Amino acid sequence: MRGFFRGRHEGRDLEGELRAARPEPRREFVNALEARVRQDGKRARGGFRVAFVGALTACMLFALASVGGLGYAASAAGDVAVTAKRIVKKKGPKIIKKSAAKSQYGKKTKKKVKKQVKAKKKVKAKRQVRRAAHPRFTG
Amino acid sequence: MARDPLADTGPLIRRVYAYVAYRVGDGPEAEDLTSETFERALRYRGSYDPKRGEPVAWLIGIARRCIEGARLGTVPLAEPDETADPVDVEAETVERLTLQQAVEGLDERDRELVALRYGSDLSARQIGELLELRTNAVEVALHRALARLRKLLEGQAEHAAEARAAGRPGTV
Repeated sequence: MRGFFRGRHEGRDLEGELRAARPEPRREFVNALEARVRQDGKRARGGFRVAFVGALTACMLFALASVGGLGYAASAAGDVAVTAKRIVKKKGPKIIKKSAAKSQYGKKTKKKVKKQVKAKKKVKAKRQVRRAAHPRFTG
Repeated sequence: MARDPLADTGPLIRRVYAYVAYRVGDGPEAEDLTSETFERALRYRGSYDPKRGEPVAWLIGIARRCIEGARLGTVPLAEPDETADPVDVEAETVERLTLQQAVEGLDERDRELVALRYGSDLSARQIGELLELRTNAVEVALHRALARLRKLLEGQAEHAAEARAAGRPGTV
């Protein structure tokens, strides 16, 4: 027996055995630790994204401001708003129910009608007077 | 942006754990120290410099400091059941336990070298960078550590054979 053990240890590939006998962690332990690292990684990436977007926005604003693009962008936005308003708004003439002009023209029209009637009556009366003064030639 | 040192976590955990387990013994202590190593790594992941070495070497450096911080002495592994018949127990398991016990019997320096080389699978050059030694010196030290380990294993085998012979005279 002694010889058996001695023989085994003398000729053995100790390096290979040490690698093969390397202590292995429990699967649950590895999974839990992996999840922990992944979670932290996501958080770190999220922070980086926010910082990146912020920096990019600041750079764009600076670049625009340096060439007066902010005013241009504001006027362009205003034009867009006006155009949109025009499209959305109903088409048709603007009717103002009560206005000084309308009331004025309305009264005038009525007066005209009365005057015309009066004028017609006058013409008729004159004709009658003329007929009475100069009777019709009957032969 | 610097490369994430913890991108491939699974294999890294196994290598760090193997190193720690060779140093302090397989079990809950090794798990605690591995967790602590990764906690520190997460905290300081931004300080990792790819120019200074691979992620595993960086992590092993952290693990070494964790072990030193914990001031763990040699934690004796569970003694392999010497009275049990090797036929009853898986031969491989006995071999593994015997080997780990022999590694535990090495002095701190040899154990560190064995853990770095065969636990975390670092190259002699990486070990040299970590321990501030020349590659050649690491190789020589490793060779000596292995020779001492072989001796320890022989001593263990003889001891086990004697115990078996004394306990059960009928068996060979």
